[in-house]
Order: sequence, then structure tokens, then C-alpha cells
Amino acid sequence: MRRIYLNNAATSYPKPPGVLEAVQEAVSDIPPSQFRDGNERKGEDLFSDCKCLLGQVLGIADTNQIRFSSGATESLNELFLGLHIPAEEIITTVTEHNSVLRPLYNLPGIAGEPVLLPCDKDGRVDPEFLEKELAKPAVRKKARAVMINHCSNVTGAVQDAEAFGDIAHRNGLLFILDLSQSAGCLEVDADAWMADAVAFTGHKSLMGVQGTGGYYVREGIPFRPVRYGGTGRESEKLKYDPIERPPEAGTQNTPGIAALTAALHWIKQQGIGVIREKEYRLLRKAAEELLAIPGVRLCGNPFSDRQGPLLSFLTEGMDPSDLGYILSSGYGIVTRTGLHCSPLIHPYIGSGPKGTVRISFSPFNTADDVTALIEAIKEIL
Amino acid sequence: MRIIEKRKSLEPCTESGWDAVDLLTDQGLTEEEITSLKAVGGSFLYLKQLKKPFFKLESHDYVIKGVLGDSFFRVAAYREKLEEVLNSVEKMLK
Repeated sequence: MRRIYLNNAATSYPKPPGVLEAVQEAVSDIPPSQFRDGNERKGEDLFSDCKCLLGQVLGIADTNQIRFSSGATESLNELFLGLHIPAEEIITTVTEHNSVLRPLYNLPGIAGEPVLLPCDKDGRVDPEFLEKELAKPAVRKKARAVMINHCSNVTGAVQDAEAFGDIAHRNGLLFILDLSQSAGCLEVDADAWMADAVAFTGHKSLMGVQGTGGYYVREGIPFRPVRYGGTGRESEKLKYDPIERPPEAGTQNTPGIAALTAALHWIKQQGIGVIREKEYRLLRKAAEELLAIPGVRLCGNPFSDRQGPLLSFLTEGMDPSDLGYILSSGYGIVTRTGLHCSPLIHPYIGSGPKGTVRISFSPFNTADDVTALIEAIKEIL
Repeated sequence: MRIIEKRKSLEPCTESGWDAVDLLTDQGLTEEEITSLKAVGGSFLYLKQLKKPFFKLESHDYVIKGVLGDSFFRVAAYREKLEEVLNSVEKMLK
């Protein structure tokens, strides 16, 4: 049975040419030790090159402030702890993933209940909701940061990051952006949007492997790293000034960063615009053909200009998890079902406690994949 | 047919927060075996018209689902119920 992979919003598959080779080379060669030995030149180049490419794809000029992590979850935990803003003083949205919500509700030292902005039935958060919330004296007095998920991993709705950044800054608030679902497949311009901090992951549309990602905090923003340790330089120095941001501590995930670098080269070569256009064509085809099947309802508006390469849908009379199971076992089509780790959005978009069926594209999907999905669903329903 | 392995599902949240286990069998599931699972209890759904017929047995605290001919099927339940359900399934398939 031919396998069709439509779960790229979880982890992209397959990876672009050059990624496997980069991992292979990284584990076959003498390991580069950043700033530590005679092989340092190679290590420094790899890590700096990767940050430089990330800066180009994410719209970050000061790439020295990018730090690697194991993915968006670790990045967000480190960001919240490092910024040390109590959850009650953060305004966020109901569209957030648990990688945002759970740290805010549970992290020692900051745990609490954030202010939650609602979304519309498509999963879009109107920037006016933020203005309205900030018009409440009690909220305005407390608020210190705005945390926005750029692209919903449930409906694909893309938030107006520029507008949120503007409102946050006009009100003297930090603007934090989660780029997990948009980095690599949508135009991102963190500097132009005045993002003070961003989190990203390497294994989704950035086309790298699992265990890679990172975050960025604008210079001058009070931020204390969560992890200290060996950096391979200034080893005699034990105590840092609280405002200092040493490089990543510990040995880095060289094979992962090599893979991410290769993937970023490929993305740059293709062009984000070309990738976006290809994925959007597939999304539009899927949305149109799904809508034509009786009993199928889309959650969100995949026809919007502000849309990532994914959509969610429901079918009359069948649980999302059952449809996902049948598609996978019976037809070899891999989708994702359930709440997608974003529990708060569902009441707003009309999906119940069993969530939705989600399909998500990569540049390696084809129109034939969409046709196979549609034919399968027609046969099942 | 016998169960040769119990494998924790890679995507537990797929089943809306339940613990899910995929049971691997030494042969493909037959219609007779699927029907015998009805004795575990709950509402039974069998979509025979599909290219690969799908079954689901569901109660308020567990779900058993699979496809005719596959050498695996899934049991999902609340954590405290899972062992009990797995035992019942194994008993029915003996």
C-alpha cells in the first residue's frame, strides 16, 4: 500500500535532499567542538551558518541572540523562565498549543492564569480583542507581555503578528511570538513585527529533524538564561552578570543542527513564496473537494489569505479518531486526529472534546495525494 | 489467532486523552474474531461496506477498534481500566 503522509504540521516528511547526508557527515566526521579545539573552525561555521540562515528565514538581523534548543517546547519553557514574567501578567490566546499553556500554568516561579484572548470560529484572534482587553484598567495595570501563536496548528489561521506587535509596543508590553507552525512555510519578519522574543522548532516546516529548534530574545530585553554550563570559552569565569547572555551551555546537537542547516539551504533555494504557493494550491484543492462531500464540515477558513498549509475538518456521524484510524489502516493515509494539544480552541471553532481530523502539507505532497484522500473519504462516508 | 505483542500507541492523545495500546496478532483479524469481541460489551459498529471493513466496540470507558485482515487492533481506555479491558479482550480471542 502506498503511504501518503498528511501530518506535516506534526513533523515534516520526507526531508529535503541533503538533510540525511548532513546528518551522516556530522556523525561520520570528527565532531566539531565549538570554540574548544583545533576543529573549532568547522563547528563555529556550522552553528553560525545555521543561525545566519535562521535569521534570513525568520527576519531576525541580530542572529547572535538566537539560541538552539531541542524544539519549541523547550524554547518556550526557557523563554518564560528566562523572561521571568508571572503568567498573570501575560496576555495570550485560546489558540495556543500546550507548549505555551502548560508552562504558563505550571512552571515554578511564574505559574498562574494568563489572560486569554478569544478567537473567532476560524481560529483568528482579532487584534481588537487585545485592544479591548488592554482597555480594562485591571488588565492594563498588570500586563507585561503579549504571547501570540502565529499560525494555529488546529485551523491554520495566521494571526496578524504585525498588528499585535504594534499594539504590544504602543502599550509598553513585550511581544512574544510562537513560530512553530509558520517558520519555513510562511513569510516571517520578526524584526519588522517588533517581536521581542520568538520560539521555533526545526522539525516541522523548517524541514530539519526532531530535537532541533531554538529561540531568540532581542538584545536589551531583561532575560536570564535558565541553563548555565560549559561554553568552551572564558572557562575561568564562574559568575556572570545577570544581564549577560552566555552562548548555549553544553555540547550542542551537531547532527541536528547540520540537518537544519541543510534544510534551511534547501528552503532558501526554493524560496518561501514558492513553497507557500505550492502548499496553498494543495490546501485549496483539498478544501474545495472536502466541502463537496456531504457530511463534511471544515473548521476554519482555509480559503483565507492568512492561512498556513493545514486544515481541520469534521464528518457527520464519525469520530475524528475513527476516520483517522480507517484512513491510516485501510488506505495508508496518515492524518492527525484529536485535540492537537491545543485544548482551548475547540469550543470556539465548533469542534467537540474529540477534536478534529487535521491534514497538513509539505512541499513534497502532490495533487495525487489530495485526490487519494478525497476518494478514500468518499468511500468511507 | 493469538496476541503476540502489546505496544503502547505512539499517539495516545489521538484517543482524546485515553491510554491506547496496539495489540499485534500473529494473523490477520477475521470477521469471526471481530464478532467475538462483542462479548466484551459496549456498542458495536461494523462498517462492512468499506474496502477494508472497520469495527469499533465502544463503552463509556473504553474503545476497541480495528480493521478486518489487519494484524493489529487498538484498545484505548482510561488508565485504571486498561488492564481489565485488555484481559477481557485476550479472553474473548482465546
